[in-house]
Amino acid sequence: MALTDDMIQLLSAGVAHQVGGCSNDGRPVVCRGLAAQHEAGRLLVIISAESGFEVLEAIRQNGRIAVNLTLPENYRSLSFIGDDAVVRGSGAAWRPLVNERHRAFSDQLLRFGIPPEYTNAWYSAPDEHLVAIRFTPTQARNQTPGPGAGNPVQLIPIEFEK
Amino acid sequence: MSAVFDDGLSLFGVRRMMEGVIPPVLCTASPDRVPNVSYLSLCEYVDPLHIALSYQFFNRSRENVLATRRAALTLDDPYTGGGVALQLEYQRTETEGPVFERLRAKLMGVASHSGMDKVFHLRGADIYRVLEMRRVPGRRELPAAAPRVDLPTNSRLLSERMANCEDLADLLDTLLGGLADLLRIDHAMLWLFDASQQVLTLLASRGYPVDGAGAEISVGEGLVGTAVREGVPIRVGHMMNMATYARAVRERAGESGLNAVPAPEIPLPGLKEPRSQLAVPLRARGRVLGALLVESRHDQYFGYDDEDALMMLCGQFAVAMSLMQPPEQEAPPPATAKSAVPDAVGPLLRLKRFGRDNSVFLDDVYLIRGVAGAILWKLVSEYLRSGRCEFTNRELRLAPELRLPDVQDNLEVRLLLLQRRLAEQDAAIQLEKAGRGRMRLAVSRKIVMQQDAS
Repeated sequence: MALTDDMIQLLSAGVAHQVGGCSNDGRPVVCRGLAAQHEAGRLLVIISAESGFEVLEAIRQNGRIAVNLTLPENYRSLSFIGDDAVVRGSGAAWRPLVNERHRAFSDQLLRFGIPPEYTNAWYSAPDEHLVAIRFTPTQARNQTPGPGAGNPVQLIPIEFEK
Repeated sequence: MSAVFDDGLSLFGVRRMMEGVIPPVLCTASPDRVPNVSYLSLCEYVDPLHIALSYQFFNRSRENVLATRRAALTLDDPYTGGGVALQLEYQRTETEGPVFERLRAKLMGVASHSGMDKVFHLRGADIYRVLEMRRVPGRRELPAAAPRVDLPTNSRLLSERMANCEDLADLLDTLLGGLADLLRIDHAMLWLFDASQQVLTLLASRGYPVDGAGAEISVGEGLVGTAVREGVPIRVGHMMNMATYARAVRERAGESGLNAVPAPEIPLPGLKEPRSQLAVPLRARGRVLGALLVESRHDQYFGYDDEDALMMLCGQFAVAMSLMQPPEQEAPPPATAKSAVPDAVGPLLRLKRFGRDNSVFLDDVYLIRGVAGAILWKLVSEYLRSGRCEFTNRELRLAPELRLPDVQDNLEVRLLLLQRRLAEQDAAIQLEKAGRGRMRLAVSRKIVMQQDAS
């Protein structure tokens, strides 16, 4: 399944990222993500290997993942669920994307009086700690706070080129 | 199973992270290990091993928790950018008791700003046992901000100043002045609760262009009205954030067909755009007598320590206020006291009362209502009947025509409110102190009284 245009636009709008998983022994884990982007029907999300070590471990065990994206200006919140997540590559290659998303996110929080210095604390992972996770979203959920949070949202069936 | 906490970490020590400035993140999973990540509106410290999370809606997170009893929670420090990650085990849901009431009061305080009282319904306080708490590694934290003031020392100084006050007006000015001078709280309002009318009346304020004495709000309205109704302090440290959250819930509620979606936000009193507010009830003898509301234009201005300090000071104020009845004067002053009726100069002053709520108007301008309105009516009636301009608190207390159940508790306060309203309006009637337990009516125009029965 692929993301709608609306969902793709949300990725670069200055969202907060949260990445969740669950180990095989039923331990839910979550960490802050640093960036996400759409790649031909798949979603790529960058996290810090240091702060997200438990999430990486759970994903390596079973490939299950939930990525939550929330836009501070209106709390619009979406989660993407997948079960084929793999951890791929790491390093400085992701820095431009992380910086871009960090800038957009800081701009969002500035509206609430939270200075950029504050979010720097969350985006301070060195290049060697940046890790990419790729997965195919099988389900999207509307996580905007309120009744029905967690309910499914329609994704677009992927039409492969012939 | 014993809890595993990183060195130096305690739940009490991370209370400030539960404020919701940066909303807590909850991760649950279904029995087949499909994770679900969502934001929470409220998290509350319960004891060294337990926290409570608000349960407002039945959604995916709750379905997962009831099935697996496990959750992960992350909390961010609103000052340093640091964070902690918790592993939780669901214990039970409470629908009454102190934890539930605290959560409900906070939720209602936030909701009342956005007209969300009906939608922000707390179904329960979910109690979780904390199995683990660890620092989130790899963050470059900011240094913690220096304290605004030496809160314990300066609160003690203010408490001592208040202990030396001999009358209510002095006590009130000392409290509001001390908040500014000693605690650097520049915007404050003191509201009185009138149980018979179920309204809050503004007794005094400091730090605003308009004093506003005599203004009224309903119990349950806004942060201060909710603090009075629930009898607990309520603090919001990042009001824009909470307002945005509330709007998001309201929109979702509307899409979900909930019919109790009220219209636009109630305008906030006081500062036009406060970033932090703290409402503290005035409690004495097991009753709520009113509340202090303090505000700031800065985010996260008031912390748990401010809440503790103001609870103590407001408790002292409330007890002093309820005890501060001057010695009773046995006999009213002689009826031969000189009348203050001046020679007729200028137009008549028309004093009009509406009997339904004792609201009083001077020349068609609203002055005051309730107990204070009834008192003014009685004083002026007696003045016009006998020419007497000096009165005692005792005779008001015993006056059968007042028939006001609250008067025993609040007479001094109502008199002070009336005195300040008259002074603020620069009215032709003024109320002055004439010794302990005595007051004098100073009238500079001739008065005609008009009773409206409606």
